[in-house]
Amino acid sequence: MRRLVYLTVLAGLWGGAIFLKLFSLQVLHHQQYARMARGRQELRIEIPAPRGTIFDRDGQPLAMSVPAESVFIDPRKVDLEVASGLLAGVLHLDRAQLYGSMKQALENHRGFLWIKRKISPQEAANLRALHLRWIAFQRESERHYPNGPLAAHVLGSVDFEERGNAGIEKSMDAVLRGEPGRIRLLTDVKRRGIESQLVSEARPGSSLTLTIDERVQFMAERDIAAAVEEHHAVSGSVVAMNPYTGDILALASYPTYDPNKGPRPGENRLARMNHAVSVPFEPGSVYKVITLSAALETTPLTPDSLINCHGGVLRLPGRVIHDSHSGLGLIPMAIVLAKSSNIGAIMIGMQVGQQNMYRYMRAFGFGQRTGIQLPAESPGKVRKLEYWGKTSLASVSMGQEVSVTTVQLAQAASVIANGGMLVRPRLILKKGDRPVPPAQPVRVVRPETAITMRQMMEGVVLFGTGRRAKVAGYSVGGKTGSAQIFDTAIGHYTHTYNGTFMGIAPLTNPAIVAVVTLNGTHGEGGFGGVAAAPVFQVVAGEALRVLDVPKDLPEPESPPKTLVAKNEDMDDLSIADLGSNQPNILEEGENEDGGQGPGASGQGVEVRSASSQSPVVPNFRGMTMRAVLTEAAEKGITILPDGSGVARLQDPPPGSALHPGERIRVRFAR
Amino acid sequence: MAQRLKTDWILFGTVMALVFFGVVMVYSASSISAQLDPRYGSSWHFVVRQAAWAAVAFGAMMTLKRTYYRKFQNPAVAFGAIGFALLLLVIVYFADGRHRWLHFGPVSIQPSEFAKPALVIFLAFFVTWRARAINNLRYTLLPAALSVGLLIFAVIVPDLGTAMVLGGAAMAVFFTAGLEWRYCFIVGVMALLGLVVSVAVEPYRIARVVRAVDPDYKILSKVDPHGTIKAHMEKSLATRDTNYQSEQSRIAVGDGGVLGLGLMKGRQKLMYLPEAHTDFIYAVVGEELGLLGSAGLLAAFAVIIWRGLRAAIRMQDDFGRYLALGVTMVLALQAFVNMSVVVGMIPTTGIPLPMISYGGSSLLTTLALLGILMNVAEHAG
Repeated sequence: MRRLVYLTVLAGLWGGAIFLKLFSLQVLHHQQYARMARGRQELRIEIPAPRGTIFDRDGQPLAMSVPAESVFIDPRKVDLEVASGLLAGVLHLDRAQLYGSMKQALENHRGFLWIKRKISPQEAANLRALHLRWIAFQRESERHYPNGPLAAHVLGSVDFEERGNAGIEKSMDAVLRGEPGRIRLLTDVKRRGIESQLVSEARPGSSLTLTIDERVQFMAERDIAAAVEEHHAVSGSVVAMNPYTGDILALASYPTYDPNKGPRPGENRLARMNHAVSVPFEPGSVYKVITLSAALETTPLTPDSLINCHGGVLRLPGRVIHDSHSGLGLIPMAIVLAKSSNIGAIMIGMQVGQQNMYRYMRAFGFGQRTGIQLPAESPGKVRKLEYWGKTSLASVSMGQEVSVTTVQLAQAASVIANGGMLVRPRLILKKGDRPVPPAQPVRVVRPETAITMRQMMEGVVLFGTGRRAKVAGYSVGGKTGSAQIFDTAIGHYTHTYNGTFMGIAPLTNPAIVAVVTLNGTHGEGGFGGVAAAPVFQVVAGEALRVLDVPKDLPEPESPPKTLVAKNEDMDDLSIADLGSNQPNILEEGENEDGGQGPGASGQGVEVRSASSQSPVVPNFRGMTMRAVLTEAAEKGITILPDGSGVARLQDPPPGSALHPGERIRVRFAR
Repeated sequence: MAQRLKTDWILFGTVMALVFFGVVMVYSASSISAQLDPRYGSSWHFVVRQAAWAAVAFGAMMTLKRTYYRKFQNPAVAFGAIGFALLLLVIVYFADGRHRWLHFGPVSIQPSEFAKPALVIFLAFFVTWRARAINNLRYTLLPAALSVGLLIFAVIVPDLGTAMVLGGAAMAVFFTAGLEWRYCFIVGVMALLGLVVSVAVEPYRIARVVRAVDPDYKILSKVDPHGTIKAHMEKSLATRDTNYQSEQSRIAVGDGGVLGLGLMKGRQKLMYLPEAHTDFIYAVVGEELGLLGSAGLLAAFAVIIWRGLRAAIRMQDDFGRYLALGVTMVLALQAFVNMSVVVGMIPTTGIPLPMISYGGSSLLTTLALLGILMNVAEHAG
């Protein structure tokens, strides 16, 4: 019976092998199979969490998420010919392309295919009217910017999955996004639900309240756009901030874009770039404020100290510096600033010395990010001392060999405005209902220095290069700058300019600091005093009005006549490398309307846009909020929505003339 | 004789426990799909039928248990059984499109199942009859090969798995009877060839074999860079399911872990696992009762095999010995092949797990065979 024993042993071995395999599956690899099982048997359903709304400081919504519907089908359950024809017709899609994607999905045995996402309410209604069971809808949410391009560079935009991809939407994405809830659904093989279990509730994203004031922002955008176009500049930016808290009331960049629409081919590639924080430039003469502040702090110089301006020509090792007007001899330091003498600034800078110059440059916040809550902030460029050349001190004194951003300049101007403290600019006022405390300010200069600087800066506006910045009823101090753009390709300064104005108002008790920059202007009309100062005038004026700042000057009955002498608008150019054979090109001719009073520029814009056409207020009544916002965005109208449901009331009423920039208040109710 | 005979209570108890366990598992594995399927509409559909068949099968078992096994040692019974089984197989070949089922009103039977007792009785009779000249080619082996081969061939057509079980049992019996090694070798080679041929004619069978060895086609893509074999394999629609079945089965078993998800709490039976209540019921056992359940079931089969082989070894009478051996081998092969398929050791073959899987014919023949075995065991002492 030996052979029976063989069989017994064989059976035993086989049984043992089965046991080992069982052990391997159920004990050794249990985790892995359990994971596979969960992956196949369970459907994880996300309950979308609404993205937080972004408000301006007065609670006006700047970005909000509205429900939208998306369409999908199961390609295995439809006749592709019929379905593609029908859906392409209703949803305005390309039929052949739709048919192709359906066919491909079918070949891959996919039971799910998006047909079109975030369709319009009209399309959804049309589809539902067909009453076809194989057309399925998914509720999603769509980001909407009710004011269109307003504050686009601050807000940024979101991608298709509602993740921020620029601006605040990107930098504060984690706060805004919230957390989708999750449901675990046990399904059978045909994905029919058997049993469901709520894993976590959806947690809506937190709302954000920005420091931006919609009204100041609007003025800033309108005027920088007008100024860029008028002076044929490439781009421009404005930053207006509260010097004590760092609250940014307006941050504008031009050219701009509508965040409701995705990038499209042929779009100006500068449009989505935030020129206020991401694009550094050589500041030129505005930087003399820092030079003089350092001098007041570290040297015995006072505003009355006489500075030798060497008659407008200064020979340095390897280069010759010109002032834009010859003949300044011995003048007080205050006049150096008012007239923006390059040579004067250099003479002052020499007394300050490299060490102190570098120290104050850093202390005023240059060469480092301000920490504003926007992505892609540039730190600008400040050379370390060991890399300074022989003439670097001279260059830095008049704002060359250093590059800064508009927001850095606003931060630096705030130091002068608030009595010597460096306050970090900020954009977030509240996260949800919780106020965000401003950062602790750091002392940079003595209060006396700040006050002295303000007095000198007032001279710039009163009788210097910045007379166009005057705001009726308020004392204003500032500094102009017109830096030639250095072309790195040819290694030369070119005849294009960055025109800047940096201003403070009112000087007796500063409430607002604003910096206006125009990049790439051509000709003398693009200098800071001519091109940028009028923008400051409008923006600062609006901010002071909005903030209800008491006037510190008697308001003139009629617009004051500002006498602008020939040439003097142009004085602030830092001429660097033009060489002695090219004496001052800037003295040649002045062809612009120097005689007009303050506000002239602003009025010009007003008239222009009003006369272009006069549209009529559309009738929004009876429409959903989404429909209203969509239509308004198309027509470039700003809506102030209130309530929810269907539009019931609107102000101004339909049919009345729509003034440019006018906002329509629409009240929604169920 | 009844007074002196002692029932093998270990065997009897194990069988009864398995049948009861089987009914429970059929309910667990089938209730949800039966309820969801409009053809059945009730979660009790399968379990009621299985219980009814179990009652019939139990009656058959008890009858055969009390029937002296030597009554089968009769040419008329042996050849009659073979003839009857062949007749049924021929009828079903023409009566049913898939050559599998014979319908008598509400009752359906699977003739290939009835080939099992027929073969077991025939083998025991034949081997005992020709015991002294077992290696005689002309008078023993050729006739045996012809009759056994005919039966196996008739079964191959509808049911390759069962044919393999029958062939394996026949080989075991002849081997034990003292077949010369060279004949063993020849039979082995022929069986292998037959297997290869029967696999090669059906693309889906090739795919099953390839996938059991090489699930991700890593080796195949090297051997066959142009993908001609793969294309041939995937010609048949059934191919796509084979890997799926095996994978779902392994997931079910692996997900069970040591203690299982709990009786009735399995998830793979939600139509992920095809044939959850028939060929893959062992996967449901592994999922719901874990290693304890699956290894316990394996142990229960080991007990039956042990009692069967023990009876065969202790038996003084040749016919009884080969009868016990045949029964044991048929059951052991079925059980082990089924379990090996479920855990992914061998390619998918459609064999039910005796006593556990849903299926009346299988339950009836299995318990009938066990009834014979019990009677033999009583005489083995």
